Amino acid sequence: MIYKVSYVVKDGDFPGGIRNETERPMVGSLVKIGPRTFEIIEIHEMMPPRDGFQFLHALVAEPSEAKSSADSYF
Amino acid sequence: MKAIFKQVALFHGLDDSQLDHLIEISHKLTYHQDDIVFEQGSAGDALYIIADGQVGVKVNDTDGDSYVALYLGKGQVFGEMALIDQGTRSATIIAAEDHTEIYRISTQDFITLCTQRPDIGYILMRNIAQDLSFKLRHRSAD
Repeated sequence: MIYKVSYVVKDGDFPGGIRNETERPMVGSLVKIGPRTFEIIEIHEMMPPRDGFQFLHALVAEPSEAKSSADSYF
Repeated sequence: MKAIFKQVALFHGLDDSQLDHLIEISHKLTYHQDDIVFEQGSAGDALYIIADGQVGVKVNDTDGDSYVALYLGKGQVFGEMALIDQGTRSATIIAAEDHTEIYRISTQDFITLCTQRPDIGYILMRNIAQDLSFKLRHRSAD
């Protein structure tokens, strides 16, 4: 399965990205978009899967921001 | 190369012999970080497929400011808009990493293939439409 992923940066202060992944991205994983590294905080299906491709949307944030966002649940 | 193309959504639905026709007209290019692939406003004479690395899609707005609107990585296609509407490039494309590997297919070769092989052309045009749809959905979410 190939995962075509739309990465969007939370709060929109940095451009997102689109790329194919050979493994399904997971919440908490790190991803490099351009020169910066972000942490995935949310994933959902963007379009129905087709012929070995899955189309995903991933919301990402700065690693520290992602952690504090997760901490806020406690 | 066929293994790479099989991981590109633009080519999915094509069988091995159909992919061979695309491989024949594809030319591999390697870019270093900050190399310009093409510039906004230039003639659209090819479409490109990213085999490895990332590129930045840089837009010059009407105020003269420029900004990176999007990063595209492995398996993504760019340059297809000018191929469809015959217009000039809507953005500047810059390699965002060293050793960014890109396959280039000239517009003329692409159109000739689609005309001579409508079975391939139909699949490619359908996939280009779906890729543009994906990019629009990405933009809506951005």
